[in-house]
Amino acid sequence: MSSSPLPSYLEQSPEVAARFARIQQRPITLTVQNLSKTFTAPNTPPRLTLDNISFHVHHREFLCVLGPSGCGKSTLIRIIAGLEQASSGSVLLYNKPVQSPGPERGMVFQNYSLFPWLTVKENVMFGRTIAGIPDFLAEAEARQWLSLVGLADYENAYPHQLSGGMKQRVAIARALANKPRILLMDEPFAALDAQTRAQMQDYLLELWRKVDLTILFITHDFDEAIYLSDRILVLSANPGRIAEIIQNPVPRPRNRQQFTSPPFLATYNRLQELIHPVSLLQNPSNLSNIPRLTHTTDQVE
Amino acid sequence: MKTRFFRPFRPLDPHWSPLLTIGSFLLPLLLWAAFSYIPWLWHPYVKITDPGSLTFLQKNMLMKKADFNSANQKAIVEGKTPAKGIPANPIFLPAPHEVAIAFYKAFTTPPRRPGEPWLHESLWHSIQIIFWGFFYSSLIGLPLGILCGVYPPIARLTEPVIDFIRYMPAPAFGALAVAILGIYDAPKIAIIFIGTFFQQVLVIANTTRNVEYNLIEAALTLGTSQRQLLSRVVIPAIAPNLYQDMRILLGWAWTYLIVAEYIGASSGITFFINQQAKYRIYDNVYVAIIMIGIIGFVTDRVLDDLGKALFPWHFRDSRSIIGSFYNWLKPNYVPRNFPIRVPSSK
Ligand SMILES: Nc1ncnc2c1ncn2[C@@H]1O[C@H](COP(=O)(O)OP(=O)(O)O)[C@@H](O)[C@H]1O
Ligand SMILES: [Mg+2]
Repeated sequence: MSSSPLPSYLEQSPEVAARFARIQQRPITLTVQNLSKTFTAPNTPPRLTLDNISFHVHHREFLCVLGPSGCGKSTLIRIIAGLEQASSGSVLLYNKPVQSPGPERGMVFQNYSLFPWLTVKENVMFGRTIAGIPDFLAEAEARQWLSLVGLADYENAYPHQLSGGMKQRVAIARALANKPRILLMDEPFAALDAQTRAQMQDYLLELWRKVDLTILFITHDFDEAIYLSDRILVLSANPGRIAEIIQNPVPRPRNRQQFTSPPFLATYNRLQELIHPVSLLQNPSNLSNIPRLTHTTDQVE
Repeated sequence: MKTRFFRPFRPLDPHWSPLLTIGSFLLPLLLWAAFSYIPWLWHPYVKITDPGSLTFLQKNMLMKKADFNSANQKAIVEGKTPAKGIPANPIFLPAPHEVAIAFYKAFTTPPRRPGEPWLHESLWHSIQIIFWGFFYSSLIGLPLGILCGVYPPIARLTEPVIDFIRYMPAPAFGALAVAILGIYDAPKIAIIFIGTFFQQVLVIANTTRNVEYNLIEAALTLGTSQRQLLSRVVIPAIAPNLYQDMRILLGWAWTYLIVAEYIGASSGITFFINQQAKYRIYDNVYVAIIMIGIIGFVTDRVLDDLGKALFPWHFRDSRSIIGSFYNWLKPNYVPRNFPIRVPSSK
């Protein structure tokens, strides 16, 4: 999609355009080709969930996949992770097809999925010891990753003793410890409260800036997608199709003042058009069937 | 703020907990004491203290209340001195203090006949039967159950027939066990095995199947191979639940003890109880029964506490006496499996 002309509603500043030109010079990390997925379950007709998805991610790119709930975002990322089989099409990592899960594709789940029987440090060591790295080396590495995510003091705590944001930082450290070629994140901050989520977004951007990371990030939150991404892949629902791949015109480095900047708002409006959120208020007939149950003098507005 | 005592599903105020635990034992004890010591509660017999002129009576003899009254009535009519007696309970309900005394005596009095086992020898024999039955069952049942849980083909191949055999009561195999294994300990261990094993495979398989699949997926994305999955993820993930299962299964094994010990040459605590009943020393029968209860209860409490020490991530903030003791022994070493202090953030 990077070769298609810029849509007129996205006015890129020269700096942003130059950045995208640079990104496109980089090698392609992940290629998804004509990917389709049909779920067949007993007693239900087969369901086409993903329809002919094709895109690629460049090295060090931050790609967000945005779509309404149930459009197949998780299915897509799980196929890329190798946790689910595609019905047709292929996923290539540096031109090698992937079939099963592997440590070169790190995954961060919405529900953290930390191993509750291991301490924070042992969780981060897990992938390394599985790979046969001696314990003392894995431990030294784990300590480095933990200090990178600001949890050096908690290395001996168990996951259940941490807050949601801290758990997710451990999960990120655990995935990074394998030095993955690409980091797959499935709505990682969706379960966090608003303040923690904002912190984690800033924190992830900082990490991405300083560590050699290529990120495929799934979200249903428009602000999050615009704030974090280089490009936004918009999925439409039923079946999941690529509605558009937007080159994010908001310049980097990002900050929260940009939320009200013209490029941010233009992108936001475009996303809204693409995804058509069902708003009750836009269609008064959705509300009119609630009869008044209070006295007519009871005016709350 | 005053909290209500009866709040559905809400945890109990902690200072009530020990009181209620004591009460739970005290209540039946009080009931027992009431029936033993309050003369007008139940007491269907009369214990003769003075036979009077009734020659067919003897001192300390027990007699039904109605018979006693009619005999006295008759004596009065005939102008003889009536017998005297106090209300009494049947011989199979001794009073608490009698059992308490028997408790002490049962461990200090030698058996009535030479060659018969002491109470503690009987108990020890029973414990060994349970141990070996449960051990052999777990030796096969634990790995088989886990494999059934992890691999559906193995489950399909084994579980239906196990489900079928499970409905055959273990004691039904008694005669066969004796024919094959002789009359001593082997058939008894076999009965405990049969009573435990089939349930065990199904329970363990079910626990294994309920492993949080998220964790399996997380492990796969971290590069775990199929072979590593079992030892590095599945078993640690289900270990606390397996431990709980084993605790409950051990309790079940105990319930097969008495039947098992009836098979072949009666032995262990069952033999002791039967002998004492034969001698009509019912105090000792109660002692033996209560001892079984105490051993089971104490074992269970210790295993419960040990579980909290072994799996602190599962039992979260519950305190473990064994765990605290272990930490106290080695204050400078924080072992990975025991409760740790969380450092405060900077
Ligand atoms: N294992 C499955 N079997 C059948 N249908 C599934 C399965 N997993 C997901 N689906 C269906 O695919 C659709 C997309 O799901 P998902 O990828 O989880 O959506 P999203 O993550 O975008 O909310 C949903 O309608 C869901 O019902
Ligand atoms: Mg999802």
